[in-house]
Amino acid sequence: MAKVLIVDDAAFMRLSLKTMLAANGFEVVGEALDGAAAVSMYKELMPDIVTMDITMPTMTGIEALKEIVKYNSKAKVVMISAMGQEAMVKEAIMSGAKSFLVKPYKEEHLVETLRKVLGV
Amino acid sequence: MANLYSQEPMIEMYVFETSQLIEQLETAILLSEKYSSFSIETINEIFRIMHTIKGSSGMMMFTNISTLTHALEDLFLLMREEKATHIDYGGLSDLVLESVDFIKVELEKIKNGDEVDGKSDMIITEINHLLKAARGDNASLPLEKKGAANEAPKFYISQSKKPSPEYKNTFKAVIYFEDDCEMENFRAYTVINNLKDITEAYEYFPPDIIDNDDTIQVIKEEGFTILLKSDKSYQEIHTFLSQTVFLKELELTELLEEDKSFQSLKRTPGTEGIEKPEDLRGNIATERELRDGNNHQSIISVSVGKLDKLMDLVGEMVIAEAMVTQNPDLKGLTLENFYKSAGQLKKITSELQDMVMSIRMLPLHNTFHKMHRIVRDMSKKLGKEVELEINGEATEVDKNIIEYISDPLMHLVRNAIDHGIETPKERLEKGKSGVGTLKLQAKNAGSDVIITLADDGKGLDKDKILQRAEENGLMHKPVEEMTDREIYSLIFLPGFSTKEKVTEFSGRGVGMDVVMKNVEMVGGSVAVESNLNVGTTINLKIPLTLAIIDGMNIKVGGSSYTIPITSIKESFRAKKENILTDPDGNELIMLRGQCYPILRLHQVFKVRSAVEHIAEGIVIVVTDGEKTICIFADELVGQQQVVVKTLPTYIKNLRKIKGLAGCTLLGDGSISLIVDVSGLINI
Amino acid sequence: MADAFVNEGLYDEEDSQRDKYLTFSLGNEFYGIEIKYVTEIIGLQPITEVPELPEYIKGIINLRGKIIPVMDVRLRFKKDFKAYNDRTCVIVVDIKDISIGLIIDSVSDVITIPAEEVVPPPDLNRGANRYIQGIGKVGNDVKLLLDCNKLIADDELELLDNI
Repeated sequence: MAKVLIVDDAAFMRLSLKTMLAANGFEVVGEALDGAAAVSMYKELMPDIVTMDITMPTMTGIEALKEIVKYNSKAKVVMISAMGQEAMVKEAIMSGAKSFLVKPYKEEHLVETLRKVLGV
Repeated sequence: MANLYSQEPMIEMYVFETSQLIEQLETAILLSEKYSSFSIETINEIFRIMHTIKGSSGMMMFTNISTLTHALEDLFLLMREEKATHIDYGGLSDLVLESVDFIKVELEKIKNGDEVDGKSDMIITEINHLLKAARGDNASLPLEKKGAANEAPKFYISQSKKPSPEYKNTFKAVIYFEDDCEMENFRAYTVINNLKDITEAYEYFPPDIIDNDDTIQVIKEEGFTILLKSDKSYQEIHTFLSQTVFLKELELTELLEEDKSFQSLKRTPGTEGIEKPEDLRGNIATERELRDGNNHQSIISVSVGKLDKLMDLVGEMVIAEAMVTQNPDLKGLTLENFYKSAGQLKKITSELQDMVMSIRMLPLHNTFHKMHRIVRDMSKKLGKEVELEINGEATEVDKNIIEYISDPLMHLVRNAIDHGIETPKERLEKGKSGVGTLKLQAKNAGSDVIITLADDGKGLDKDKILQRAEENGLMHKPVEEMTDREIYSLIFLPGFSTKEKVTEFSGRGVGMDVVMKNVEMVGGSVAVESNLNVGTTINLKIPLTLAIIDGMNIKVGGSSYTIPITSIKESFRAKKENILTDPDGNELIMLRGQCYPILRLHQVFKVRSAVEHIAEGIVIVVTDGEKTICIFADELVGQQQVVVKTLPTYIKNLRKIKGLAGCTLLGDGSISLIVDVSGLINI
Repeated sequence: MADAFVNEGLYDEEDSQRDKYLTFSLGNEFYGIEIKYVTEIIGLQPITEVPELPEYIKGIINLRGKIIPVMDVRLRFKKDFKAYNDRTCVIVVDIKDISIGLIIDSVSDVITIPAEEVVPPPDLNRGANRYIQGIGKVGNDVKLLLDCNKLIADDELELLDNI
């Protein structure tokens, strides 16, 4: 079972991701509410894959992504972006994000994205 | 999919979080309005709030909300980048608040399971007007496109700087993405990123995918073409590329001969030149945000239903504990160890109880700060100027109580501005400052919280109140006998309204009685003080909690009653000679020079009791803080913490029983009725 | 006495409850109450009187920590009060989220009365008839089928009478 770390400051988004992932055989091992927590939780939990919101307080998703990739260049991070965040998606991709989703996304796209990034 | 979002927890979470966010938003806007400026922190906060609501609403398919928040997000993005040169801040606040109201209404629909059908188009149009005006003359393009303005050179790219090693096979792949995948150019770039793991020899078309948004169209129409060399087999490459996210179609062909075009490709190094977008957020996160961010880690949200259930269970446990330790079977037994353990159990139960209570305690902060909005809207519409001063908002009360007093408070604030505070002109004529003041404060007083709302308006006019009460047949007592306080209390009677003019805000004589009803419902009381042309002060006294109280159990005939300890002053056996009887047959007792009425509980509650002689029973002196009376009962049974249960709904629907606040279960499983002292006093 | 009547069937699914009635007696008449409303049947418990209530609400009882009102159905139907004895039972019903105990002379059994055996009550809108939704025929007997909603909801008029 693939271990997932969810990073999002919005409780609703976390719940929704968690529900969708749990329903599709992923194991959500942690939920971080901001970038800083994401980095430390990544190091602690070593998840197989991370879903990373971009707009968050304290440390943005992109900064967290960079920290995580610095720590583990093979880290699999999927950005959760929204319409209007093209510039940030671009930076994320350049910084090593494996893929991205655009809110609102469908459950099957979330699952497909994670599965493909994981290579399963 | 649709199922997921019709699930209760998901909707609950959405409503909960979105409500919180719009409350924050409202506060932020009102604060900014007060200081007539938007700080960068506020702009960021608002931007983030909009972004979050947009995202969640999109997932829930509440399109009207998500498009509205998207429009606002754009507006605040513009402000954040300080490109907004001509912002009309007043208009902006109005629009955001209008949006807040819109979302509130929609949330209400969601909560009730109604269709989320509000039309946000009007507000969005207005926002777009503002957006256009704000941008001034200098821009018309959507913001994000600006990054692409730096013309990227058009060439095929190879990331490799080293000379490529010799690979056996050459492939041509054309990738088509799914229609709704968004940002096709970046999708394509992720393919290239991954490709780097298996080969260094690759080229692709269109080339400038990262910098040129026009490539999106090309990829949509013609697909994304890659030429690559590798030692891997056709099958392996096919599998590899099939892992592409949002892949709709993959055309993979192995080029047997060296493709001419491949050779002729001009190799120009230099994707490194891509400009990093300026980090928009930078270091603007304030210390507060940092702190909040970290705090979040140790906080979980729990549904109120679960908390209520927990409270109930702890209540049951308190009763069960009493049933065990006060079990009649134990009578006359010497059980040293048992009582030791029982003492331990009691200690833990009471700690558990305190903890559960404290979990349910919430500061009045949110309730109080909601009033800012009301003050703002009302003063704007009524052409009055009102300053709201808030004090003691950190005072905590039980969550249930907050729910009960929130509406009454709102009504009182409205009333104070509508009827109390004068227009600036009137105020100046009276020699007052043109700006009226409304003071809202809370403070602890024993097991109660006192909430005070004081205005410096025109005060209540006793004569007018009396006249109106007379007209409506609300007078039950000769005027001469009424204290000022009693006169002022008339305004809380159903069907009373001193204002001839019906206004949008203060309603039609409904409301003030609802204030009274709600406050009484939680066992509180309302008192009014007023001075003509100086102002009116309304005091709401409410209990800290409803759930568990210290009570004194008493017996009257075969029935048990419980009186809250906080309202008991003393109890004693009276002597017959201390009792006076007035001409109406009412009994009075002299106590240290004061004369108090005696209320015989068996008469009030119509219970048969063998104890009729005053000297045989017990007299309990009780007060509601204003008046003091003596209650006559058969005997005191003992003091105990009791769990307050409401009377069954069926009975509450039948009628409100004066003098009863609820009921509780005693240690032996029997029911005791909880006496509502202020109800008894005013019977 | 606490559990004068226990019937596992009471907790069955909705479907198997259709047309099933719990019958009980008040004096010489037999009444039926739709089984779906009935949560349990208990013996008479100590009743705590509550002041200011109509006479037919005898007070409240403690049902395993839950406090529910009890209604004397005789008095509700304006029949004479009959002293409680060891056959007196309380049928606990749940109607629109309101739990209430109905004090009746004695319970009989659960019977099935198909819809076609039920005829509308005579059109007399007073006395006990107000609370009857139909009359069920069982062989040569008839059972008066109670309208539970009316039993608990029709109180506003009643209240006005009492004031």
